[in-house]
Amino acid sequence: MAIVKMSNFNLFAFDSDKDNLLRELQKFEYVHFTNLDEDVELKEEGLTNVTVPESILEVEEEISKTRQGINILSKYHIEQTGIKALIEGKPNFTFKELEEKAFNIDCFPILEELDKLSSEANRFYEEEKKLTDLKEELGHWVRLESPIKDLRSFEQSEVFLGTVPKKIAIKLKEDIVDLKYSYVESIFEDDENVYIFSLTSKDESEELYEILKSNSFSIIDLKGEGTPKEEIRLIDEKLERIAEEKEKVESRIKDKMNHLKDLKVVYEYLMNKKLRLYASENFLATESINMIQGYIPTDMESDFIEAIESSNPQAYYMETKEAEKDDIEVPVLLKNSKAGKAFESLTTMYAVPRYNELDPTPLMAPFYLGFFGMMAGDIAYGLIMLVATTFALKKANLDETKKQFVKFFFYLSFSVIAFGALYGSFFGDLIPIKGLVNPAEDYQGIMIAAIIIGVVHLFFGIGICGYMRIRDGRYLDALAEAGVWFMALIGAIVFGLTMFFPVSDMLNTGAKWLMIAGLVGIVITGGRNAKSVGGKVAVGLYELYGISGYIGDFVSYTRLMALGLSSGFIAAAVNMIARMLFETGVLGVVFGIVVIVFGQSLNIFLTLLGAYVHSARLIYVEFFGKFYEGGGKKFNLFRNKSEYINLKCWEEM
Amino acid sequence: MTFSEFLVANGGVVFGGLGVAFAVMFSGIGSATGIGIVGQAAAGLIIEEPEKFGKSLVFQLLPGTQGLYGFVVGLIIIGNLSVDMSLAQGMYLFAASLPVGFVGWGSAIAQGKAAAAGISILAKNEEQQTKGIIYAVMVETYALLAFVMYLIIANAVAF
Repeated sequence: MAIVKMSNFNLFAFDSDKDNLLRELQKFEYVHFTNLDEDVELKEEGLTNVTVPESILEVEEEISKTRQGINILSKYHIEQTGIKALIEGKPNFTFKELEEKAFNIDCFPILEELDKLSSEANRFYEEEKKLTDLKEELGHWVRLESPIKDLRSFEQSEVFLGTVPKKIAIKLKEDIVDLKYSYVESIFEDDENVYIFSLTSKDESEELYEILKSNSFSIIDLKGEGTPKEEIRLIDEKLERIAEEKEKVESRIKDKMNHLKDLKVVYEYLMNKKLRLYASENFLATESINMIQGYIPTDMESDFIEAIESSNPQAYYMETKEAEKDDIEVPVLLKNSKAGKAFESLTTMYAVPRYNELDPTPLMAPFYLGFFGMMAGDIAYGLIMLVATTFALKKANLDETKKQFVKFFFYLSFSVIAFGALYGSFFGDLIPIKGLVNPAEDYQGIMIAAIIIGVVHLFFGIGICGYMRIRDGRYLDALAEAGVWFMALIGAIVFGLTMFFPVSDMLNTGAKWLMIAGLVGIVITGGRNAKSVGGKVAVGLYELYGISGYIGDFVSYTRLMALGLSSGFIAAAVNMIARMLFETGVLGVVFGIVVIVFGQSLNIFLTLLGAYVHSARLIYVEFFGKFYEGGGKKFNLFRNKSEYINLKCWEEM
Repeated sequence: MTFSEFLVANGGVVFGGLGVAFAVMFSGIGSATGIGIVGQAAAGLIIEEPEKFGKSLVFQLLPGTQGLYGFVVGLIIIGNLSVDMSLAQGMYLFAASLPVGFVGWGSAIAQGKAAAAGISILAKNEEQQTKGIIYAVMVETYALLAFVMYLIIANAVAF
């Protein structure tokens, strides 16, 4: 079984040792704390919550400062991309190395300086923005050739500047016809507004203003002294000066770039420290003793004790016992072989299994492998996957998640090559290869094969369900959830087949009665948990209705054929276009090659994406639906998930 | 030659050609619409987080497959066309093209909407984005069934 056996531990340690103990445990990593805060019984006995130490505030502040520093520097940092970045990857650290390195970095003077520089740069940004806005506003009024200050200093007349919506501009002109001493002129138009200049005598100004207001006029107060043109020139000069200053500040920030790596290390260290400090929220305490509860993998118990003893060899008390199998609170850690580990992410993406369930990873991985190959089968595509993933695994410094993902495709590539050979497909039909079957002609055969694979897959799923029930000693459930369904389905399939291909009457009748027995069994056993007789019948009939779902399930497997066929046809279509181009001369050959490279790359991507998600669907919906519940708690490693570095796990140290 | 005579003489290839057109046309319209819907949602995401471009492309491509199925069906039908095919055979090919065309049309749009919703998973909880992909792929089953049905129809009767 690939769910790791857990042990429950009860640890009593001195409060004074806590910091040290937690550090050692974090180094050890494989501890999952139980939150004792909700344990009413223990609290009634006088145990109190452990308050998170005050130093957490300091750590939080340091984290936010470091984070800010990283953000400032990252803004000016040109990230490496492409293969070189992939090969280099994130720097590797063990927990010890991380602590040592972080202790030796004094980053706070740098952070302070960065903060100062960045707020200076921000001031320039803001000023720049303000001036640019002003310039844009003035730009609307360049046709006004008198200085702005003059507009405000008439004795007899008054000037209004502002905008009205374009649609109303004509109506405005009609409205002011009655006014004797008023004049309105449009200076500029953009998509929505007309910018108008209006001049009136002081006597009439109120009337004009009323009319303007009723026409959605919004007044604009131009700032400045000279003509708009002059003002714009002044602003340009100012902007130039600001840009120079800004560049100076920015280059000073860039000078600090060599500290970026150090800051990231400090950040990771602090995040782990924070996690450690918050961990004590899970504990209960008397005056001087802490009570700590949690789970560890059973086979790591001696390492766990070693970790505790390296913080304080004598002064602790601990008891451990194996975790209850049916306890839903037990955290789940999956452990699979090297190959199985690559498929774990598929399982956890659906759900983490419960502690008393099976880890479905090794059960579904072979099927997934086959499905993927069947949908994406092509020798060339498989070889490309194989080369790319081998290169990445050998040369690149990948973090654990990425590594598993690449390995996943590494394994899949073999299946893709195998099915490619079976189908005789190399970039579609680019190089003719004699396969065992030709999907373009014999797709009916492949479709039947796909459905047969589906039947096997589903029966396997029901079988696992039955196995789990029998393992748990729930024989009636095993019969109700697996036995009767096997009878009904096998009976129905054999009965159906012998209808079309009569072998012997006895087989036909036997299958018919097996099916009927199964169906009756489903109705009888389906409602075993319902209380009233009516309820039993209703639930039983509802369960029987579930058999219609199996038809859909079987049909669903035809996608194994359809996706493979469609990707083969697209590849063939690309090749066909390229061949037509090849016949048209030298230029045609060049374009033909471009078509092949571009078309095939697109098809590889689409094919692999399709195969990835459709295989997952067959596993999740059709297969897991038959036996897998999930919903277990994930085992939380006592480490912060690192962002900027690869933190080696305990076992690799 | 009356119109009905013309139809009997040439209708086969005309209807066969219509089949090609219907299969490619409607599934293509659907896929284009679906991809457009996802593209709009993705563009909104990229404003804030341009580094998610690659992952958003995966979502955008999902409703594209219907168009491809239509294209493949079109290609297969073209392979079966001949000038002297009978009217019945042409009409049969035409009928066979309908499921992939129309189911492709509707399902690509529905899938586009599901994938666009998946984009918001990508925006807010990137780790769970694969679940968004699975949701969108659920829709595609029906386009696949239509494609499979074409293959079955095309082989059910021999002319």
